Amino acid sequence: MELRLLRAHVSALLRDLLRTPAFLIPTVGFPTMFYCIFALGYARMNADTANFIVCSYVGFAMLGVTLFQFGVGVANERGRPWERYLRALPVRVATRFAARVIVALIFGAASAGLVALVARLLSPVTLDAAQWLLLALSAVLGAIPFVLIGLAIAYWVPARGALPVTNLLYLLGLFVGGFFMPPQYLPSFAQAISPYTPTRQFGELLWSVTGSHDAAHAIAVLALYALAFAAIAIGGYRRDERTRYA
Amino acid sequence: MHLIEAQGLRKSYGSVRALNDVGFTVDAGEVVALLGRNGAGKTTAIELLLGLRTPDAGSVTICGEPPRSPAARRNVGAMPQHTGFPDSLRVRELVELAAVHYAHPHAIDDVLAAFDLGALANDRVGGLSGGQQRRVALALAFVGNPRVVMLDEPSTGLDVEARRALWEQIRAAADETRCVLFTTHYLEEAEALATRILVIDRGVVLFDGSPRSFRERFGARRVEYVAASGERTVVTTDDTDGYVRELVTSGAAFRDLTVTQSSFEDVFLDLVGGGV
Repeated sequence: MELRLLRAHVSALLRDLLRTPAFLIPTVGFPTMFYCIFALGYARMNADTANFIVCSYVGFAMLGVTLFQFGVGVANERGRPWERYLRALPVRVATRFAARVIVALIFGAASAGLVALVARLLSPVTLDAAQWLLLALSAVLGAIPFVLIGLAIAYWVPARGALPVTNLLYLLGLFVGGFFMPPQYLPSFAQAISPYTPTRQFGELLWSVTGSHDAAHAIAVLALYALAFAAIAIGGYRRDERTRYA
Repeated sequence: MHLIEAQGLRKSYGSVRALNDVGFTVDAGEVVALLGRNGAGKTTAIELLLGLRTPDAGSVTICGEPPRSPAARRNVGAMPQHTGFPDSLRVRELVELAAVHYAHPHAIDDVLAAFDLGALANDRVGGLSGGQQRRVALALAFVGNPRVVMLDEPSTGLDVEARRALWEQIRAAADETRCVLFTTHYLEEAEALATRILVIDRGVVLFDGSPRSFRERFGARRVEYVAASGERTVVTTDDTDGYVRELVTSGAAFRDLTVTQSSFEDVFLDLVGGGV
């Protein structure tokens, strides 16, 4: 029964988003577009650079999907009357949340997959099958803290503010994390704070697939961020419950 | 077992007391109209019954289960407010999504037809008019074929035909195993549909009984006539027959005599105005 409900909610969310080109095109195409405009020139220089850049852009894609799906998406929906209706239906909150996670994974796969495909075709990347798999796994697991950061935004920032706040954190996070240019080329102030940001550690995890980066340290920091933002998101969720449904 | 059982419900929002010791039960076969002025506590009562809010004191069970439990919710059909649907979904998809949650839903096409949505089945919900969206909201409440249907002001914003269709569905949804509870501002609707009337005012139940007893208890008849002096006279009495007999035997001149039942609305206004 619950599986049937999960499928129904995944399908409803997917259809709603697939029919909204203003969501679909930027979400799926943005990272690839950036890759082609800003990164491809460097990526074609040599295999190491190509590998480094494709790892960055796969993360870039996952980051966008998770932050916007959970930050902006949930922020917009939590206040809608439709949400009240769904709550009165015989379906667990966990099932509806799982549906959203699955939908995010599908869009993440589409967005990151497109980047990987373009990189594979147009740049001298040398990842083998095992490395691609490891990259995919790192991208999915490493995105978990950003799901929680998104939820924290969704429950603490009013719906109107969610989009600009998410955009700001997204772009700043990518920049400071070393996704647009490798960390060692960042301006000194950014280099100073970079290691403490979740995006930088996400990058370290992704780059460890092909280079000598400390994955264990990255995972530890990301886990801490996940815990911290889980607490913040839960606090926000409870506050929302108290004001709307107490 | 009662389909709905509410006991001693209290609910305040800050210093505003919305419900103050409200209790009632609803059994199979009943169509209950919940009446009250704006702010009387009707919506709060429905929200507590749906488990969307928790009472400060008191308890609710639906089919013997707490209202937030899946077991209770599988037996309840509610309508969403008609704004803020997922705009890109089509009418049929939305109704199907609701139906999936229930064990024995109605056939989708039947429900669409009942609310005159057949021709709109493949239209996106976001493109519908307000009245059409209201009909979709109603279809969502009924499609699961639940034992308890709860409707908060279902007929607001409906045209005459849509209202008739709604009435038909409400009557059909209450039988030996099922019941309907709805709030309304239209007294004629309560009178036409309900087997039972609950009046809430200032957070307490002022009346609970059949439409007939509602009228009998509070609905005195009125005698109106124009006296010889030209003065219009209105007399409210339980015994109109006796009054007219006396009037005639007194030999006083009068014209334009009418005897009327107080309207439902008069009764209602007496009730909430007088505070009983």
